[in-house]
Amino acid sequence: MANLLASLISSADTLQAYGSVLETAQNNVSNASTPGYAKQRTSLYALPFDPEGGATGGVRAGDLQSSRNEYAEQAVRQQNTGMGYEQQMVDSLTPLQSQFDVSGNQGIPAALNNLFESFSAWATTPNNDASRQTVLDRAGQVASAFQQTANAIGVQATNAEQQIRQTVDQVNQLTSQLANYNQIALQGNKDDAGLSAQVHATLEQLSQYVDITTSFQDDGSVSVLMNGETPLVIEDKQYRISAGLYQPQDPPPTYPNSPASMQVLSSDGSDITAKTTGGQLGALLEVRNQSLASLIGDAYQPGDLNTMAEQFADRVNQVLTAGNISDGPPPVSGVPLFTYDTTNDTAVAQSLSVDPSVTTDQLATIDPGPPYVSNGVPLGLSQLATPVQDADKINGVSYNQYYGQMAGRVGSQLDDATNRQQVQQSLLAQAKELRDQYSGVSLDEEATILIQFQRAYQANSRFITVLDQLTQSTIDILQP
Amino acid sequence: MAAAGSIEDFASVRAQLECACRHLTLASPVALDQASEVLNSAARQMAELQSRLPEQAGNPAALEEAWRVRRAFLRTRTLLYSAAAFHGNWTRVRGAISGGYTRTGEPGPVLYASRLCLQA
Repeated sequence: MANLLASLISSADTLQAYGSVLETAQNNVSNASTPGYAKQRTSLYALPFDPEGGATGGVRAGDLQSSRNEYAEQAVRQQNTGMGYEQQMVDSLTPLQSQFDVSGNQGIPAALNNLFESFSAWATTPNNDASRQTVLDRAGQVASAFQQTANAIGVQATNAEQQIRQTVDQVNQLTSQLANYNQIALQGNKDDAGLSAQVHATLEQLSQYVDITTSFQDDGSVSVLMNGETPLVIEDKQYRISAGLYQPQDPPPTYPNSPASMQVLSSDGSDITAKTTGGQLGALLEVRNQSLASLIGDAYQPGDLNTMAEQFADRVNQVLTAGNISDGPPPVSGVPLFTYDTTNDTAVAQSLSVDPSVTTDQLATIDPGPPYVSNGVPLGLSQLATPVQDADKINGVSYNQYYGQMAGRVGSQLDDATNRQQVQQSLLAQAKELRDQYSGVSLDEEATILIQFQRAYQANSRFITVLDQLTQSTIDILQP
Repeated sequence: MAAAGSIEDFASVRAQLECACRHLTLASPVALDQASEVLNSAARQMAELQSRLPEQAGNPAALEEAWRVRRAFLRTRTLLYSAAAFHGNWTRVRGAISGGYTRTGEPGPVLYASRLCLQA
């Protein structure tokens, strides 16, 4: 009778244990689509079986165990940061590239070509008023093209600034959520699977904006650092970052009236801009403070667009003022055609214009020489299209080539970013696959995977070495 | 005709490298084995192509396709190295977790067998 009762108790315990397993399985199924949720499992413990000693055997449910592998989670977040960076680079550089037409059909190159043509036509009919008017009109179009490009890039700089502020807000919003989750965990809920899912989903979201390192504490809270050193969340405290425009002072700025740069500050006011190189925020800072600044200037550079506008305007003005409108006596010198803001080297392109007081009969035609050439000025100006002498060149190349280099740089940045983004997409997918593979895997299964992988890796790396040499030598042979 | 043939060969190698990329993205042991078969085939085809390359020297279409192959290869290599780094680092982390550190400060070796399970 005692044995029968013991058996019944044992069966009841067993049913209870399997009930726990079923509940866990049901919970896993219900949360299959919950972002950040990792499967849980209930361990079953065998109980001693010794009928004579009164041990009835059976099983008992143990603790709930999460199948989450933090190492795999961190790997996904790391690739997510890379993806955020590359995606943002592509998103920011695509509209910038559209400002640089390399076909020569629009924008600055088209306006320059039209002006060069009008110089040639003027050289053919130097006293023709219509030819002179065309020169004035086309010069105005060149100035407009520089202004439009500079303004469009300025708008992109403003957009980037706005996006940086929004991204910083997003980071602060997410870290605030994490601080709240930590508070809940610290109140004794550290084993809550739902809370863990929310924490991990938030961390994954955060990782696309900035490069984060996380460490889970025994009390259930998660500490989050940005760039490996700037605290964002520790226990239930949030450390807010901020962003704003600033004009660097050390070393003293070469161009103090230049467009300001963007700066990101940690909660203690330290400048963390240079260290913020990952995620969407890193890409936005790079585009705003490097790519766009190289075109429109910053505290230490005038910007290529301004350099080009200034040198072009100065050279045209120089040729015109060196020439004569009439022989006299006394001879009447030519007047400059272009004007711009001479007080600010970083605002030349946006302020470039044709002096409205210049009339067609004020355009100098005569090069007094020696040798004297009656149409020497328009001939000299038309040389700017295909320059021979250094004074007609910019950095040793023609104005069109200089513009082409600028456009090419933006295009190649975008091209690189697009290629890297495609690779990054695969790397992120791979990290997620690896996370899934390690999720819910026992140590023995995991050991098998590691051994199998080691073997497969060795096989693959042999072919990789061979293909590296073959693909490189192929290019070497084919290259002209 | 020879040029067209080479370009088709390049395209075929590239397709194989892209297939290897898909396997490497999956990163399971089975997928990695499949990747190595595909890479083996791509390497063979690439080696066979070498003898015909000098006649294509300076051909811009062939060069462009060769660059595509090179980029596909670099993507494949990145994926393989990334998977290798993942498993390699995990092995080290697991070693440190289970075996502590050696005298020289390296993570201890991962012991796959003879594990003891302690139960209170």
